[in-house]
This record gives sequence, C-alpha cells and structure tokens, in this order.
Amino acid sequence: MADIEKMSRIALRKADSLGAEYADFRYEESYFERLDFADGTAEKLEQSTDRGFGIRVIADGAWGFFSSSLVNPREVSRAAELAVAIAKASARINKLVIRLAPKTIARDSFRTPLKIDPFTMTIAQKLDYLRQLDDLVVKADGSISREAFLDFKKTTKLYYDSEGSEIWQELVQSGAGMTVTAAGQGRARASRSYPSNEGLFCSGGWELIESEPFADNIPRLCEEARALLAAPECPSKICDIVLDGSHLGLVIHESIGHALELDRVFGSERNFSGASFATPDKIGKLKYGSEHINVICDSAAVTGLGSFGYDDEGVKAASIPLIVNGILTGYLSSRETADKATVPLSASMVAEGWGNIPLIRMTNTNLMPGRYTLDELIGGVDDGIYMETSSSWSIDDMRQNFQFGCQLGRLIEGGKLTTYVKNPTYTSSTIDFWNSCDGLGDASLWRIWGTPNCGKGQPGQNARTGQGASPGRFRRIKVGR
Amino acid sequence: MSKVIDILHKAISKSLAEQTELVREAEEFFLTRFAENVIHQNVGRSDSTIWCRVINGKKMGIARTNELEYDSIVKTIRRAHEISLVSQDDAQLAGFRKSPKGPPSKGYYENTASYPPAERADAVGKIVAIAEKNGLSAGGMFQTSVTNLAVVNSLGTIQEDRVAEARLSMTLTGAEGRAGFAQAFSRDVGRIAVEELAVAACHKADMVSEPMALEPGKYTVLLDPEAVADFLLFLGFLGFSGKGMVSKRSFMVDKIGSKIMSELVSIYEDPEDVEMAYMPFDYEGVPRRKVALVENGIAKGVVYDNYYASAMGAESTGNALQPGNSFGPYPKAMSMSPGNLPLADLISKADRAIWITHFWYLNYVNPMQTTVTGTTRDGTFLIENGKVTRRLKDMRILQSMLEAFNNVEAISLERRVVPKYGALMRVPAVLIKDFNCTAVV
Repeated sequence: MADIEKMSRIALRKADSLGAEYADFRYEESYFERLDFADGTAEKLEQSTDRGFGIRVIADGAWGFFSSSLVNPREVSRAAELAVAIAKASARINKLVIRLAPKTIARDSFRTPLKIDPFTMTIAQKLDYLRQLDDLVVKADGSISREAFLDFKKTTKLYYDSEGSEIWQELVQSGAGMTVTAAGQGRARASRSYPSNEGLFCSGGWELIESEPFADNIPRLCEEARALLAAPECPSKICDIVLDGSHLGLVIHESIGHALELDRVFGSERNFSGASFATPDKIGKLKYGSEHINVICDSAAVTGLGSFGYDDEGVKAASIPLIVNGILTGYLSSRETADKATVPLSASMVAEGWGNIPLIRMTNTNLMPGRYTLDELIGGVDDGIYMETSSSWSIDDMRQNFQFGCQLGRLIEGGKLTTYVKNPTYTSSTIDFWNSCDGLGDASLWRIWGTPNCGKGQPGQNARTGQGASPGRFRRIKVGR
Repeated sequence: MSKVIDILHKAISKSLAEQTELVREAEEFFLTRFAENVIHQNVGRSDSTIWCRVINGKKMGIARTNELEYDSIVKTIRRAHEISLVSQDDAQLAGFRKSPKGPPSKGYYENTASYPPAERADAVGKIVAIAEKNGLSAGGMFQTSVTNLAVVNSLGTIQEDRVAEARLSMTLTGAEGRAGFAQAFSRDVGRIAVEELAVAACHKADMVSEPMALEPGKYTVLLDPEAVADFLLFLGFLGFSGKGMVSKRSFMVDKIGSKIMSELVSIYEDPEDVEMAYMPFDYEGVPRRKVALVENGIAKGVVYDNYYASAMGAESTGNALQPGNSFGPYPKAMSMSPGNLPLADLISKADRAIWITHFWYLNYVNPMQTTVTGTTRDGTFLIENGKVTRRLKDMRILQSMLEAFNNVEAISLERRVVPKYGALMRVPAVLIKDFNCTAVV
C-alpha cells in the first residue's frame, strides 16, 4: 500500500497547486463472493474484485469529485485536475461557500472484529453449508421450493486528506439467508424467509453465520408457508398490531433513518429520493414518538452492518442520540451539513466504493429495546394482528405516509395468537405510528438487522445499513385496504 | 480489431475451460446535481468492468474484476474456471453461441462525450435563473456519459460499440406545495432543450396553488409519460422477462395470444427506436431486436437471453443483462405506441380526472396480480370540465397495473423517452378510468 500513499500525495499536492482549499483522496479495494443455491442446485457462484480511487475537493468554495479505476500516478494527476475543474465549474453559479465543521485529525487504523475470515474458507466448504440447509428443507417438506445464499465482502480502504488525516481500514461483512416457498392452486404462492426478508447481514466473519440457528427454524418456516397458503386474506380494520423486530427494523429505516438525513432535510435529494418533513426547526420540540421511542445513530456498534472505524470524511465512528423519550434530538450529518445546522458530527458519510462521492447514509439506526417479552406484547392485545418479515414497503417522498406488508400475519384474539392470515398490510404516517407505540421487546429480543441494498443519490449508490430493533406494539393502526 | 478486443482475445486463448466469454464495459460519466438553486454535487467517474464466464460441461463459473491489465484478466479467467469446477451441473445450461456482428450503434455523439463541466454548470445556471425569476427553488441533475461495451467468446463472437447519453431532470418547488417536474433524455446533448424544460416545470409549478385533499376512491387519472414509465418498468420486472416464464412467476404465463390489456395498448421492446438508439447487442453479444410484448392488448411475447431462451425452446432476443445478475433477461428499451390525440385534448375531454406527474416508491404488493402501491409526487392536479382547476395533495395508490392498462380510455400522440434504472422507455400520456387512490399523503 506504499504506492497508494505516494499517489495520495500526488493527488493532494496537485489539488493544492490548482487552488483547491480542501482535498481528500480515498482508495478502496474490495473482494466480493456470492453463492446462490436453489432447489438443490448452485444457481450462482461469483467472485469479484474492484479497486480504484476518488478525489474530492473544494475549490472556489464549491465541491468537485473525480474517480477512476486506473490506479497509476498519471491518472491520479488527471483526476485531481478534473476534480478541481469540476469544482470551479460549480462555483460559476454558486453564491454560497462550502464550510466544513471541524473534526479530529486522525492517523489511525481499524479492522472489523471477527473470528473466522470468510475469505479463508473455500467455495466447496460454503457450498457444503448451503447443500446441508437444502437437504434439511427437503427433509422437512419434500415438495416446497427453497432458496439460500451466502454473501461476503471485504474492503480495504485508505483515506488521506489535506488536513492531515491518514486512515487505514479493513471492513468485512458477511451475509446468509434462506426462503422457502409453498405453491398452491393456480398462481398461489406463500413464502417465508429467515432471519429476515434480506437474510442475515452483519459486520464480522463466518462465526456469525454459524451461530445463526438456520437449521432449527426450517421446520417452522415450512409449516408457516403451508399454513399461509391455505390462510384467509388478512382482514381490513383499525386495530392493534404487534410487529417482529426484523420488520420493525425496516420501518425504522424508512421513517426515521431516511427522514433524519440532513442532506435530504436540506433538499439535496428533492428531485430524486425526496425530502423530509423533519426540518431542523423541530429539533428538541417534535414529539416523534411515544416515550418508549429512543433511537441512536451508532456507527461503532459491534456486528452492525453499518459499522466502521471512520466514515468516508475521516470522522471517527460515533453514537449520536436521534430521538430521546420520543423527542427529536439529532440528525445524521456530514461535515458540511453539521456546520449548516449546528449539530454534532454523526460519522455518517459513506460512499459506495471508490467511484462515488460520500453521501449522508444510515450507519446503524438503533431503536433501543423496551422491557417486554413477546408474549407480554401479544398478551396486551385483545383484538389485533401479529405481523412478521417484510414483504412490501412504500413511503412518500417526505417520509410521512407509508404502507408496509409482511409475509406472515396471525390474528391476536384475547391476547393469544390464533388464525394465520395472508398478505397483511398496514398504512399509517410516521408521527402517528411512532406515537402509537406502547411497548417494545426487551434486550433478549433485540438485534441489529442488516439491510444490504439501501439506494440513494445520483448516480445511484447502494449502502449497507443496520437497524437495531426488537418487536413492538402499536395501537389502532389501519390494517388492510 | 481494437486494442480492447485484441487483449480479450489473447486472454481467452489462455483459458483452460471448454467455453469462455469475456465482457468488458467501460464508462466515463459526469453528473451535476443541484438543489435549492445551487450545485451541491458535481462528479465524474471513469471505470471499466470485466466479467468472465466459463462453461465446463454443465457447470458455469463467473468472476469479475475492474483491473484491466492482461495478467489480471487471465487471473480472472482462471478464477472463473476454478469456480466452475466446484460448481454443480445445471441441466438447463445451454452453452455460449456465436453471434453475428450487430448493426452499428446509432447512439454515439461526440458532442455528448466531450461535453465540459462548465457547460453543464451554465445549463444549471439557466434553470436556476428561470426558477428564481418565478420565485421557485430548483433541484435536479444533468448527466452526460459514454459507455463502451465489448463481448468476445471462444466460439467466435466479437462485438464492440459505444453509446453516449445525456439526461436532465428537474423539480421546481415553491410555497403551498407548488411543484413542477420536467426531464429529458437524448443521445445528443445538443437536443436537450434546457430552458424549454425549465419553463415547462415552472408552468406546472405555477399552474394552480393551494393544494386540496381529495377523498380516497376510484378516479379517472391522466398519467404523464413519466408515470406511465413507472408502471411499465414494473411490468417489465413482473412479466416481460423469459425468467418469469420459466419460473412460472410471470403474469404472461399461459396468456400469450390472450387479451390482457385494452386494445389501445401496444408495447414493444424496440432497441432500434431512433429516440432510444440502444446499444445494438446485449451482454452475451447477441444483436438486440424488436419484440412485440403486447399488441392491441393481446399478450405477444417476452424477452430472452440465451439461458432462458434455451429453457423455453426459444431464441435469444438480445436482452441479456450483465453476467451474474439475478434478474434474468429484461426489456431495456420499451416503446408504447402513441394514440391519436394531443395531450391538450386529453385534458380538455376529461370531465373529472386526477392528473399525475409521476409516482414515487412504487413497490409490488401482489406480484401475480401486478398490484403495486406508491404515492404521487411533484405535481398532482384535478381536471374538471376539461380544465385544470386545483392542485391536489399527493395520494397513495393501490392498483393492479394490468387492470389499469385494461381501463385505458385514451392515449396521447406525444411521447417522451424516460430513463429509469438503466432502462429506457418511450411512452405517451395515458387516460385511465377507475384508478384506485387509497389515501391522501
């Protein structure tokens, strides 16, 4: 990596010589591995590598960025020139000058804590693992359709900036998941996925996949898929609902995490992924949820899919309160927006690979656990629906009105789970929904659920985020149509 | 033979596999984003990706790299070969094919390829000036790019070509929920009418103010081309792919030859359409061709790559996506036939209708019924007695797309090319009855 350090110096010097007030250089090298297994066959085995660098500058008070996969001194110099030229072009129409909130300068390194590096295992070992799961499904239900996957990513990241930061990181992420699908008459299908609709995604190694009880859950998943196939449609009514943690993680992601991204709040995504109702004037005032709702942005959380040592602006991973006892207290910020809104840095600037500029992204957005068992949450509902595992989701471009659907629904009658119902959906608005929460599952039910495919920005960037959640209970929600 | 093809050829000659394919996609793009009347992001990227697929017997291995040196490509071929050896037999695997040379691209424009950052910034400056003059705030993006694609396989396929593209999109917003959206796509950046688009977005933002909440229910709606494209993109995923036919998860299964939409609706995969001028071959090197998907409301066919064509006993239509993707073949250049009335006439003939600019966050609720939910955005209006009378608060919709395309009452003469998620669609505006709006946002 000595060559990369030399190239970073070429980039930063070049940008400086061309009049840039600020510059950072980020090199990334990633290894991916994906294995998909379906109905006894390995559908896809793919390995890939990807490397390149990006140079971000401020010149004449405006941003410019250029990135390239050609990693050599000549291309680095060309990229620095282009980044400065792009910034100066932006400055032709901009009336405001970019200012960055101060950060602590770091010369540091970080490595994802793990026990078993998945890239030290052979493809054959991983295929064996998937084949065993497949065999167990066949044993549980010989006529059910089944899919399973493994997904691994290792990224080495080197970051240098004109303020003196020099950071080396090695980030490892592991994923695994399975879905069984029962087919009925005509086009009827019912699927159940484990441990969430996205599977398991986390920062760490193979040990996390080994410790996930996939095998133990296979009989239950098969039984539920069969039961759902024969189940009546979920009724439409206003009633209490209890949501499992994996699904609640998605609701946090859509209605809290995205809503509190300061670039979105300031309108940067208005033309594409939308804006937010949660404007900075509401900080300290907006009753976002009931007193049970405490949310933090935590990029340092162990095993969280959104965890790292430093973000892509060289800001050290941090834990920032977003909602305290239901009141809005903070935002996900960049150095630019933190200065603009006078809020703390949240270490939330993440780029998809070397080729993209960092954007404000969720890292781990964690709804802290409550004090109830699942039986207690369900026991407190006389007439309602229990829903598990996300199947559909949609929220408006201001992050208010939403509709979610789940794979599994069960009626709650007299505090007990009874009849299975299929295609459960519910509609609400962000503030009404979170204020209707009167109980959350305890710490034993809480985990950080990984979302490997969060899209934002133009050009489109995919981020890997975490959402900490346990099950939750919500009163008087509109269920169904 | 170009230098790229030469390197790919030499590398393939080192492969130990029975069949080998190399795909190289290179892209250089520049994108300027603006919001609140300033440029807040301005970026460029130069990248190349090489995919290698190898086949040994009935086993396949895939590897990918963006390191373009000869040694790295050979290493990637070796990696794909090793993966194939530990893979399992896939009885459906058909093997690569030799494809004839495709027609030359009509989508490359040098002025687009060399469009400088300063001109993009100046274009944004013109939009901002129009927005400010009208008391509005402008947000959007202006992108120019060039993509080179090369496909070589050990059976003798050699394809290489390039396309350029320019995209401009803007939302102009103001007080009381005023919003106007406009976008344009062209291979030739010189045909992007920047000020004309900004004026059109302004006009929509200024059309009427004070948004009104309309009771949820079934309404006649007028979908702008961008909203029609939102539906078409989803129909592509849910029905027009050969993968869905093989897995029996497409709404087209058992429907070929049957009426599935209004007779007013015809949809084609049309890569040669002059406005779209799509890359003339796919990621397997197969020349793209026109495919009738729905003709006068009758289901006609779906698109294929080699794998799914073989499984269905059909021929590839040249719709393979990047190697290793999980979507299967996909129509990337859909064209919906125009109607015979100008958009203005569709408005003037409507007694009472909701005019929808486009949708946001559509997601399917029931894929087999093609039911989706999502919300309207960036300008939703009420038409009464042939006139636009009120701006409406955005609404959530819950609608079967097939049902909607069955309820088409009229189609506009004008069409626009709408780019979305790597696909292009050339679509008209469409008037649809009994459209299900379920909530006010």
